[in-house]
Amino acid sequence: MRAFSYHAPSTLSDAFAFLDARTRPLAGGTDLLTLMKADLVAPERLVNVKALLPRGIAAGTDGLTIGALTTLEEIEKDAAVAKRYAALAKAAAVAASPQLRNMATIGGNLLQRPRCWYFRNPRLDCWLKGGEHCPARDGENRLHAVFGPGPCHAVHPSDLAPALAAFDAQVLLRSPRGERALPLEIFFTLPSAGRRTENVLAPDELIVSLRLPPTPEGTKSVYLKAMDRKQWAFALVAVAAVLQLEGRRVVHAHIVLGGVATIPWRAASAERALVGGDLSAATLERAAAAALEEALPLAHNAYKLPLARALVRRALESLAP
Amino acid sequence: MKRDAELGAVGKPHPRLEGPDKVSGRARYACDLRLPRQLYARVLRCPLPHARLSRIDTSRAEGLRAVHAVLSSANAPEVPWYDTSRLFDRELRFVGEEVAAVAAESEEIAEDALRLIAVDYEPLPVEEKAGKPDVRQRGDIAAGFREAQVVIEETYTTQTALHNCLEPHGCTAVWEGDALTLYESTQGIFAVREEIAAKLGLSEERVRVVTEHMGGGFGSKQIAWKHSVIAALLARQSGRAVQLVLERDAENLAVGNRNATRQHLRLGAKRDGTLTAIEVSARVEQGAYLAGGEASDVTGTYLTLYRCPNVRAEQIQVSTHRGPAAAFRAPGYAEANFALESAMDELARKLGMDPIELRLRNYAEVDQDQRKPYTSVDSLRKCYQQIRGHFQKSAKKYGIGFAAHDWAAGAGHPPAEARVEMANGGARLVIGAQDIGTGTRTALAQIAAEELKLPLEKIIVSIGDTRDAPYGPTSAGSSTLASLAPAVRAAAQAAKAGREGLGKRAPNPKHKSVRTCGAQCAEVEVDSETGEVTVLRIVAAHDCGRIVNPLLVDSQISGGVTQALGFALTEERIVDAASGVVLNANLEEYKLPTAGDVPQITHASLSLPDDEANAAGIKGVGEPPLIPTAAAIANAVFDATGIRVRELPISREKLIR
Repeated sequence: MRAFSYHAPSTLSDAFAFLDARTRPLAGGTDLLTLMKADLVAPERLVNVKALLPRGIAAGTDGLTIGALTTLEEIEKDAAVAKRYAALAKAAAVAASPQLRNMATIGGNLLQRPRCWYFRNPRLDCWLKGGEHCPARDGENRLHAVFGPGPCHAVHPSDLAPALAAFDAQVLLRSPRGERALPLEIFFTLPSAGRRTENVLAPDELIVSLRLPPTPEGTKSVYLKAMDRKQWAFALVAVAAVLQLEGRRVVHAHIVLGGVATIPWRAASAERALVGGDLSAATLERAAAAALEEALPLAHNAYKLPLARALVRRALESLAP
Repeated sequence: MKRDAELGAVGKPHPRLEGPDKVSGRARYACDLRLPRQLYARVLRCPLPHARLSRIDTSRAEGLRAVHAVLSSANAPEVPWYDTSRLFDRELRFVGEEVAAVAAESEEIAEDALRLIAVDYEPLPVEEKAGKPDVRQRGDIAAGFREAQVVIEETYTTQTALHNCLEPHGCTAVWEGDALTLYESTQGIFAVREEIAAKLGLSEERVRVVTEHMGGGFGSKQIAWKHSVIAALLARQSGRAVQLVLERDAENLAVGNRNATRQHLRLGAKRDGTLTAIEVSARVEQGAYLAGGEASDVTGTYLTLYRCPNVRAEQIQVSTHRGPAAAFRAPGYAEANFALESAMDELARKLGMDPIELRLRNYAEVDQDQRKPYTSVDSLRKCYQQIRGHFQKSAKKYGIGFAAHDWAAGAGHPPAEARVEMANGGARLVIGAQDIGTGTRTALAQIAAEELKLPLEKIIVSIGDTRDAPYGPTSAGSSTLASLAPAVRAAAQAAKAGREGLGKRAPNPKHKSVRTCGAQCAEVEVDSETGEVTVLRIVAAHDCGRIVNPLLVDSQISGGVTQALGFALTEERIVDAASGVVLNANLEEYKLPTAGDVPQITHASLSLPDDEANAAGIKGVGEPPLIPTAAAIANAVFDATGIRVRELPISREKLIR
């Protein structure tokens, strides 16, 4: 790791005075330090924000607020989350390892860079790092995206992001210019030539908190994740499903897939196949198939399609009364 | 030796003597050393799979503050390395090969210095080269297939697996005058002493190698690697102690791997299951160099595991532009076992025979390769018997699979020496071997305690230091205990009789063959929609002769089966074909089993003292538990799903239908 200077300002405005392209904020550090050790980022300064941003979960009639510094472990163990946002609790519980969940913050979890083994390997160039093309496209792409046109084929690594997106979470951002709130669906945007990242956060901007709207009566949710081993691995495919039911009738459905695209991937056609219908086996099968209908697998990841179909169907089955 | 029931210290589940030191952090590993003014080294590695180094300029690195030594082909002595190369060669043959090294006051400064080294590489063509087939045969293979009524012909592949020792390769080198001390993580302190002395042109007496504890070797640490000579040269250049510990990715690029294989196999049998012919052609990917150490013998088990008059087994070494292969826990046998035992399962199903019946029908009572009877003729039968009781026919969607194995090593051999010094009502046992992590200290102390009729706590064991120790063998081939225990007995007997307490290992029997063998059964659950395999249970029975300490044997079985579980299901080195770069030289994407993946492992071994083998009746068990697991799991997966996976690892995509 290259040398850097370390700063621990006592106010957020002092912290903002540091933030620029050569500086990184430090919270849990579980992603930042791995990027620095691989020399993928080499900030000259680290600014500790651990004492400057909100930490903790506040549940009220208007929904849920989660401070950016809240750890995954705190989300996993929170009673209100477990009761009303089960998919989020489950996503936190199956992310990483206990040691990492104790350190990692929700803000950092949303901002972590892809685990693509081309992106992460300092010996290799790739489009996301500023290179010409994506070597995964015609290379070892077993773990890569089945949705999205490219040019990057990495998948988003977060377990919590699909669950949060499925609950229509908004992310509250602050910069010296002020605050803005963005739905996660806008916060996560496919990278482009002008912005080779997976989200629209500006370099001098920080995530302050997340807001989740209240869950209406009859809401049930689940998060399922398939990994190469039983634990401590990023998702091959994951699905967050949130349904609002009246009896067996689906009033509202949100299905967001993980492990299949460079950002959390909303399965809008699956949702359409569900809303207004019942949860019959045929409906679930149709919704699961719809979730994958626009997928374009690469040479080594076609298995993700039947895997995702099975997970979507099982997620919905588990929510049926 | 007496019967097990009459023994005192031997056969008892004594906890490891070094356990408290390890769990309290007092145990010192090679990378724990902190000597006054010690420097830290880092190695610059080749970014291309094949290249000629046309220019190297280290002047900016040398000019960096706190950098004390820089080595490259520009200034390093011409030390020969591998079969045809040098310590810092100008022709580089794999991504990760050593190009230059720096010693500085911290690891971070050493890394900064590496970034200041300017190198021009001229890319060279990347090609595979197959060597000449090495053929071993007996009988008439064509006649054997003419006699056959059933033939199985299939191709099986095994992947490149990475050792991933928890403690990476590394050492600390210190000179006192012209004498070198290496604190090293090695399976062979004497082997490293001999090799390093030769590479540096020193007499062996001028080199001392110390390995107090080690965090895994699995075969990859049985030879001297470049880091030790690099550390020694940097230490000489700087006049300071130098520590060079490999980072995880270097560990996974440049210091060994289990060679990938492609085995084309034909089995011929009569309808009653009697084997008439076994034929295999194995292509073995050895990487860019022959690293030395224990060879990967892929054809060995084909010649011995089953009674068969007609066998033809050929092995073809293929050189590639990848890191060199090195011995990995049962090298060759683990790879071959997956193919042979999968094929035997296919044969059993084709014949409608019970898999154990088929193996019993072809039971080998003599070593057909060496043409000698085995010392323990019935031990494999006893292992089958131990397994059989554990499993009934499984419920639907669960599968049961079985595999047997033999292993060429485990017998131990001379030279191996021991010294026992009586003092203060106790004894000091001095051994020139090292504890690779199997509990060698404890087991040998039990042998000495037994012979001296002393309580275990009265035995002080000195191990892992070439200075003043009698010769001890490399911990390889599951041989340490079987080699040393007879020497310890002899030394203890001499000391007890009032003579000088020196003992030497006698040779193995001339007219008989000593083998280790065993059998395992796996129970799995397969989710056919998601391809997820859950291994529910492994039952393992292995013949390791007399069991000196059942706790230590349990550890070997748990460790071996766990390592094999990764080999079977999740572990595979992935290389980007276009660049030759290993994509998962880390613990994130190279997926070792976690605690959540490890099934219930039932250890069903018996103590089967093999008194014809050696004076302690002991054989090794370090490697055998790894050998049959992958085949047992693959056979269980077939039992559950009807899908025969002939390519390891058994990942989800091979099972989703």
